Amino acid sequence: MSDVNKAMGEAWLAGQQAMLKAFFPQPGAGRDNKEHPEASPLEEEFSALRDTWQASVAKWSEFARDASPGEMPTPEKLREMFSPASWTGPGSGVLDAALQRVLEGPRYATLWDLDRKVMELQKLTLQRDKEVAAYQAVLQKAWNLVFERFTKALQAEGGPAPTWRALTDKWLAVANDTLIEVHRSDEFVDAQRRMLRAASDRHLQERRIAEAWCEASHVPTRSEVDELQRLVVELRREVRALRRAANAGGAAEAATPPARKSRSTAKTPRTTRKST
Amino acid sequence: MTARRKPSAAQAITELDDLNLKLARGQRMLNRVKDEDVQIATADKEVVFREDKTTLYRYKSTAARTIGVPVLVAYGQIGRYTMTDLQEDRSMLRNLLALGVDVYAVDWGSPTRGDRWLTFEDYVDVYLADCVEHICRTHGIPAVNLLGICEGGVFSLCYAALYPQRVKNLILTITPVDFHQDQAEGRLNHGFINLWTRSLTDEDIDRLIEANGNLPGELMSHVFSQMTPGATLSKYNVGLLDTFDDEKKLLNFLRMEKWLADRPHHPGEAAKQLLVNLYKNNELVRGEFRLGGRTVDLGDIKAPVLNVFAKDDHIIPPKTTQALRGVVGSKDYTEIGLEGGHVGVFVSGKSQGVLGKGIVDWLRQRD
Repeated sequence: MSDVNKAMGEAWLAGQQAMLKAFFPQPGAGRDNKEHPEASPLEEEFSALRDTWQASVAKWSEFARDASPGEMPTPEKLREMFSPASWTGPGSGVLDAALQRVLEGPRYATLWDLDRKVMELQKLTLQRDKEVAAYQAVLQKAWNLVFERFTKALQAEGGPAPTWRALTDKWLAVANDTLIEVHRSDEFVDAQRRMLRAASDRHLQERRIAEAWCEASHVPTRSEVDELQRLVVELRREVRALRRAANAGGAAEAATPPARKSRSTAKTPRTTRKST
Repeated sequence: MTARRKPSAAQAITELDDLNLKLARGQRMLNRVKDEDVQIATADKEVVFREDKTTLYRYKSTAARTIGVPVLVAYGQIGRYTMTDLQEDRSMLRNLLALGVDVYAVDWGSPTRGDRWLTFEDYVDVYLADCVEHICRTHGIPAVNLLGICEGGVFSLCYAALYPQRVKNLILTITPVDFHQDQAEGRLNHGFINLWTRSLTDEDIDRLIEANGNLPGELMSHVFSQMTPGATLSKYNVGLLDTFDDEKKLLNFLRMEKWLADRPHHPGEAAKQLLVNLYKNNELVRGEFRLGGRTVDLGDIKAPVLNVFAKDDHIIPPKTTQALRGVVGSKDYTEIGLEGGHVGVFVSGKSQGVLGKGIVDWLRQRD
């Protein structure tokens, strides 16, 4: 363990012990034991609780001391964790790794489900940001190529164009041709696809969290509303099919060809409701 | 050396002067422009039928009828039908009216998440079919002239194949048929949507739709902007600056912007069919596209077909639409290739006298 980690571990332990003393003073401290030779039931409870707490603190202290080197967040690591650059860059360092560990750890049926959902969202947000950064990197390369080609074109023509407009038009023509070429490249198309997919995955995870809140708050979820709308669309299709079948049956009996009844607005009664 | 530099410096000052004057002129024009000046789709019309979000309009005639059977215009879901009547002097619908056509147009509305489950079947078998039924009933005719645009052309092809008795003449404009012919001419700026769609796995598309409910209009706008990066980069600087010479040009620019900004979301399930079954699997031209348990066989289309395409259409490259010739069942098949791009065919000044006249001349011979 590094010195910093050791110092942090000891500071944490000292803090816990101080809290312990403050909450659970030694029995009889500041009191005449002769007047109370036996502990009250409440004191016994406190005593048992103190022992349990002490045992727990001791175990956690031991766990903290035995942690593998590098596990405790050093100031450097904390800086890295909270640096926006590390969120968006390819490979998001310690935060990414920590998320991965939590998400891939043992899954319990009911414990921490929402926490896991939020962490999964954070992971997908990081993934999306990485894909956006990768996409932007491809675009940046394209712009470098545009600049390179533009410079070459100017050199080939023996210097800058005579007017700003001619220069702008030249720049746009080079940019247009180069970007069209890049947009068709496998690298660009794949980067765009991955960015879109990451955005969709993140969006869906966000929805899962929103739906957890909806369920807890007795509010219909997006999925439920989607399902309801699907049901309505299917029912309307069935109604239409039945109406058509009914009209077709009527048509067979009637001498004149009928038109099926249309659902129309009040604005158009003249043309849509006169025939059935 | 000094003598050669002087003209450049003078030229630079003159250029700067011109630029500043132009900016000032543009600023004045922009201050004058009001919302009512940039209205689109203003041709006189009335709602004659409505079903869910679908609205059928009938346009008021502006000339004596020369074509007996009405024309029903069906646009797609990637943009709004308003592009067919951008402004008074750039309007396919007004051109048709002026040439004596009885014009109807279907507007699918602006789908929301609630429309997620609508499929091609709903658009072809229900909404489009009901619009046709309405027109047939109103006029006492057995069939209409159907004019499909872009994805609306695909709807029209499906409808004409499944209900051949209801289509007297089929007119298609900028309509994809073979979705894998995007690079048949080897033009790099053509067919980016085809490439983009093929790069997505079916699962990517499923999750995109699941996450958003629909195919977001904003996403399609983004993909469109990648097809013409130069135009995208220069639109609000050089492009806008160019319109400051002429107020009509500026208003035209702003109306186009209005149309572009009104890009609807594509209903989710129908979007899956468009992206997976059509763009990726190319089922339409293969005769494998199934709607409501039936297979769409383009060979079943026996009505006369006019296929209008744009020679420089980067969205629906010419070969993707010209492939229809080899698979359609009609013996009366005509193609018109117009100069310009996808939207330019409808809104450019040059195309105004060509598109409407081409359609009406062709119809007149088959009315």
